[in-house]
Amino acid sequence: MQNKTILEDINTRSFPVRSLSSLSKGDSGTVYDVPENRLLASLGVRIGKHVRVLSKSFANGPLILLVGSRSIVVDRKLAEKIEIRK
Amino acid sequence: MKHCKPKKTNEKKGRGPEKTLLLMGLPNVGKSAIFSRLTGLDVMVSNYSGTTVDFTEGPVRFAEQSYMLKDVPGVYDIKKSVDEAEQVAINMLEDRPDGIIFVLDALNLESSLHLLMQVLEYGIPTVVALNRNDLSASRGFTIDHRVIQSRLNVPVIPTVALYSESLDLLRYKVTETMMNPKTDFLIKEDEDARWAEVERIVAKAVRQRKDADWSDDKHSYLIKPFPGILIALVVLSTMFAFVIGVGMGLRQFILMPLLRGYLFPFIENAVGMMEISPVLSEMLIGDYGFLIKGIEWPFALVLPYVITFYAALSLLEDSGYLPRLAVLLDGLLKKIGLSGSSIIPLLLGYGCGIPAIMSTRSLPSRKARLIVVVMVSFAVPCVSQTGAFIALLSAHSLLALFSVFFISIFALIIVGLVLDKVKKEAVPFTLMELPHLLVPKPALLAKKIFLRVRHYIKDGAVPMIIAILFTAVLYELGAFNVLGQWLSPLVSGWLRLPEEAATPLIIGIVRRELTVLPLIEMELTTLQFFTGAIVALFYVPCIAMIATIAKEFNVRTAVGILIFTTFTAIFLGGLLARVGGWLALLM
Repeated sequence: MQNKTILEDINTRSFPVRSLSSLSKGDSGTVYDVPENRLLASLGVRIGKHVRVLSKSFANGPLILLVGSRSIVVDRKLAEKIEIRK
Repeated sequence: MKHCKPKKTNEKKGRGPEKTLLLMGLPNVGKSAIFSRLTGLDVMVSNYSGTTVDFTEGPVRFAEQSYMLKDVPGVYDIKKSVDEAEQVAINMLEDRPDGIIFVLDALNLESSLHLLMQVLEYGIPTVVALNRNDLSASRGFTIDHRVIQSRLNVPVIPTVALYSESLDLLRYKVTETMMNPKTDFLIKEDEDARWAEVERIVAKAVRQRKDADWSDDKHSYLIKPFPGILIALVVLSTMFAFVIGVGMGLRQFILMPLLRGYLFPFIENAVGMMEISPVLSEMLIGDYGFLIKGIEWPFALVLPYVITFYAALSLLEDSGYLPRLAVLLDGLLKKIGLSGSSIIPLLLGYGCGIPAIMSTRSLPSRKARLIVVVMVSFAVPCVSQTGAFIALLSAHSLLALFSVFFISIFALIIVGLVLDKVKKEAVPFTLMELPHLLVPKPALLAKKIFLRVRHYIKDGAVPMIIAILFTAVLYELGAFNVLGQWLSPLVSGWLRLPEEAATPLIIGIVRRELTVLPLIEMELTTLQFFTGAIVALFYVPCIAMIATIAKEFNVRTAVGILIFTTFTAIFLGGLLARVGGWLALLM
């Protein structure tokens, strides 16, 4: 079901892919690609998942993401490597 | 992956075969709360052999059958295992326990189910407890546990760790399952197939209300610089004030009057009536009199602060505030080579250095671990020593007392900055789940504090009493006079303290607070008290900490820290004695 959504997205190419770190507070999107990381999948950041940026911490601190019902803290540098379709 | 030979430690001797139950689940899902409610007070922390991972275990009794319940470290994934906690979870499964209680988190249903499916592959009779179902309802969705039960073919019961009825149901279900074990679960060996199955189950089991709000946004003010930092300052200084204020109250108005008014006169009378040599009598009730100081120091001077510190820390831990503090400070701590999560071992260090060193295992890199361990050994006073500082300085100068803590924090920043430059290694990514804010449950809190205080008495007070006994004997035999003369150039010449202050420097190697406590009864100027306190702050961490560092890292690191702390403490102490002297002349 989720694969179909991704396919549709690829077919239409209507939404640009951006890095997660470039989203601002309150923005949301669908995960398009994730780097190799042993925790991201378990924390719910998987391809096709809907995420929303709850906040971005100061001093280049981490982003807080809302994934499903969970708040996930993601390093700014790691967020640069996660691709999102808005 | 079977490189660690599965072997159980702490097997009770002289007991018949006992069934083993594992309690498994993701981190932060209320596993410990369930463990705490199922077990009594005779739980113990054990070390899994060949690793540095600790787990808690305790006996439980369900319907006339006794089990050893083991609280397995919370893990996310046991297939992609790289860290030690995950390896321990795998080893414990390979030890073939008799049964598993798996805690499924209603708020983390997907990852919980994914881990559950991995665990079910081991074919061990399992009962699933769907926990925190009450919180899901308040967040606008409900979970039908029967969907999970029928799909995976495993018994699932909804539990709320706080209600005893749901725990009774859990006990009943475990008993039933153990009598009639079934292991024909639904298995998906392929990673993608497993996630797909998980998502199918979630889609079927979760019913969402239309107006559901899943966000935790209302608490985001805690992690914004404003008012987050302000709140952090208020929270930490309230904690500090509580630890010191209430601790001092307990000491001044309850413990000291009891000891000085009743117990000590009684002991002194009793020793006086015994016909023993004056040397022996001095050993018992003299300057370092074992029967007096051996009770007063550990129980009247230090214990009150142990109680208040662990009360405050446990409250912070159980409320879910600490991870928010970690997120708030993550950006800043990255600048000194640390990550936000290092704030937890540092705070623990203000209690006791040993759990602090142990808890650095959860830090993502060796560099971060080393920095935190050096910080804790060097400039974080443990609660015993903090109690001793307060006892030493509060009567003379509050300014000096606060300066000690200020200097401690300043030194931590310097250590971080220097080590970050020396050890060039990228700081790993911060990636974690932010647990929800909760109002701590008094009963769980009380038990946690009780266990920690009991741990202090066993592992802190007892060694302190033994050290005081040795000190009393050596002191009365005159050994410290000889050593005092020998160390005189250092103690009197460089630190400008009286010769007798060599004693705390020597016995302080054993216990951190013993560098401070003997100074209380000396006739010193405020500057000398302050110098003594600063030397004590940076001086050798206790023997137990050095041993822990040697075990967790290696002997070289432990010896390095020993030399570094001793040298810096004495150097800074002498410097302070001079600078302080000049300042006094100017004023």
